Amino acid sequence: MKKLFAILMLGLVLFIAACSQEGDTEDPEKDGATESGETETDTEDSAGDSEATGEKQNVTFWHSMGGAGQEALNAIVDSYNSSQDAVQVNAEYQGTYDEALTKFNSVAGTDSAPTMIQTFEIGTMSMINSGSIVPIQELIDADGYDMSGLEENIVNYYSLDGKFYSMPFNSSTPVMYYNKDAFEAAGLDPEAPPETFEEVEEASKAIVKSNPEMKGFALQAYGWLYEQLLANQGALLLNNDNGRTDTPTEIGWTEEEGKSIFEWVKHMVDDETFANYGTNGDNMMAGFLAGDVSMFLQSSASSRDVIDNAPFEVGIAFLPHPEAKDRAGVVIGGASLWMIDDKSEEEQKAAWDFMKYLQTPEIQAQWHVGTGYFAINPAAYDEQLVIDAHKEMPQLQVTVDQLQATKSSYATQGALMDMIPEGRKIMETALETVYNGGEVDDAYNTAVDQFNTAIEQANAARGE
Amino acid sequence: MSVNNVAIQETPMTQIDFEKVKKKQRTISFFKGMLFLLPSIILFSVFLFYPLVRTIYLSFFLTNAAGETTVFIGWQNYVNLFTSPIFLQSIKSTFLFVLYTVPITIIISLFLAMIANEKLKGIGFFRTVYSSTMGISVAAASVFWLYLFHPSIGLLNMVLKAIGADGIGWLTDPNWALFAVSITTIWMNLGFTFLILLGGLQSIDSYLYESADIDGAGYFYKVRRITIPMLSPTLFFVVTVTIINAFQTFGQIDILTQGGPVNSTNLVVYSIYREAFMNYKFGSASAQAVLLFIIILIMTFLQFKFGERKVHYQ
Repeated sequence: MKKLFAILMLGLVLFIAACSQEGDTEDPEKDGATESGETETDTEDSAGDSEATGEKQNVTFWHSMGGAGQEALNAIVDSYNSSQDAVQVNAEYQGTYDEALTKFNSVAGTDSAPTMIQTFEIGTMSMINSGSIVPIQELIDADGYDMSGLEENIVNYYSLDGKFYSMPFNSSTPVMYYNKDAFEAAGLDPEAPPETFEEVEEASKAIVKSNPEMKGFALQAYGWLYEQLLANQGALLLNNDNGRTDTPTEIGWTEEEGKSIFEWVKHMVDDETFANYGTNGDNMMAGFLAGDVSMFLQSSASSRDVIDNAPFEVGIAFLPHPEAKDRAGVVIGGASLWMIDDKSEEEQKAAWDFMKYLQTPEIQAQWHVGTGYFAINPAAYDEQLVIDAHKEMPQLQVTVDQLQATKSSYATQGALMDMIPEGRKIMETALETVYNGGEVDDAYNTAVDQFNTAIEQANAARGE
Repeated sequence: MSVNNVAIQETPMTQIDFEKVKKKQRTISFFKGMLFLLPSIILFSVFLFYPLVRTIYLSFFLTNAAGETTVFIGWQNYVNLFTSPIFLQSIKSTFLFVLYTVPITIIISLFLAMIANEKLKGIGFFRTVYSSTMGISVAAASVFWLYLFHPSIGLLNMVLKAIGADGIGWLTDPNWALFAVSITTIWMNLGFTFLILLGGLQSIDSYLYESADIDGAGYFYKVRRITIPMLSPTLFFVVTVTIINAFQTFGQIDILTQGGPVNSTNLVVYSIYREAFMNYKFGSASAQAVLLFIIILIMTFLQFKFGERKVHYQ
């Protein structure tokens, strides 16, 4: 018995030792494989394919598209894989943008890192700072690819000093969804949705008056929407031109601009025309579909979902702005594709080829109609698929119009800073305070203090 | 003479040898012991001691997004925490959460265990039902409650509206959210505590009750004088484990409220997660983790010091 234990123990020790050794020897092996032309990794991943077609270059693509977006993306990836023999793209869903980014940070620089990853727009600065990416501009230059065909506003957001770090892919902007049937019942014109904060307040009152069961307006406590409502007034989120000319040191909006959003919401909370869904966007959408609220703000990426599922007619309108300010337009939201460093040239070229494929008008048309994201390549709007879809669902057209009506400025280019996720949470907490009856001044001042502290700490952490 | 000398010389020699052998045996048995402990020492070092030391180390630094240290700032992370209203709020919420969940979980499951301990026909069915929440994962249970709490299509608000009351913003009203999360947690923890307590009840010798019956003791007298004292080791275990679990609550927060509304359900573990994986401030997150470790350590120590006195081991 004792001997048996001793042997077991010895076996365990050896096993652990072997494990750690395996980890050490893995790297040179794989490095060798990538240099000698990928044959080894190929046979591992797709033995069947490689036998039939010879060498097929694998590309690992991490993305964060769940639900309808995932279906649309998988269809595109499949069509790419079957359209040619040289590249096999493996799309892997890695959870939300935050989760995917966390995973990426922990594998960056190792062999487990993907070839390309989809990262949300506010992750742009942390990706550049991470040092584990290849600026896409290098591939554009090497290939002589023309990026000028892309949507101007998208180009504005993703180019820094005229240089592209990542490839734009899925872009959306916030829009206002409203219930046309409810508008009609309340004696409002369903074809002339409210455009300003004040008009939204008035419309909400009318809705509640005609149907006490329904609230007028819902604003999800979501930092992204707060940023958009700022940008729509022409206000900056961060100083130093939204962080585009220098590293930001404090907030960029004025008290009037920042507070106007809080006061707008406060009025509706006091009028009891506001529906509070907290930070939960799904609940808000469910409430809208169930007829509990007549208007809400959300990304245009949900438009296909909302239109398909609503038992009433859905209207889509531009994002509202305060009466005192002109509409400045919206910032591109969504995500872009990043090329990861430390991969073989063949692998990067294959990924680059796939990125180019995603930009083609046909694919962008399919993507736009399937999800409600924009076509980042405007040529897609001339595709028959899109023309038909816009005829059937004119609402999709509104999202495109809003983007094209946007005036290009630092405000609508969007902010760049690695602390934006934290800033969003701070604004969400402040909004929720007001939703639950808190005072605007307290909530606003606390939020501004915390926001500035967060900027300071982020700058300190970079050692600058 | 010479014989005597030899004898004298030899005695210390054998004594030294004896000591040596003893020492040698002790080292051998020490190494043997260590060999037996080795697997767990290795596992603990890799998965517990190293991360613990690393966490303490990180808590003195600022980090970049990849978690690499950039600037040494000493105690500043801790100072920031104690002056941050958000962190203080999250400590307060955590203690409130423990207070809401632990006593109620134990009282309800003790009650269920006692009625399920009666020898009745078909009691196995009820025992299975009462312990069934143990088989449900945190994620599944949270999603299930998420729908019950849903503001417009949720069952709870529909019932409230049916009896003429106003719907409650279960997860959006800061006064209710922590309470709602607590209800979910109590429901989830019932199965486990019930099972442990039932096991404890079943191991109480029936002769104790028989003697009490002969003496003419009533039901509640027996509960107070026999059941509770005999169950005290199990109760103590359950209390300790539930408290530690409550301090480490994460899943239901992530799914139900994400720490909101107005940070009212931002319990410490969730706050650590946010700080580290959303804000990429690993230093500050590590400092919070160290503080949580110290809090749990103190709580457990206090429990053993004061709680265990009342425990009756057979």
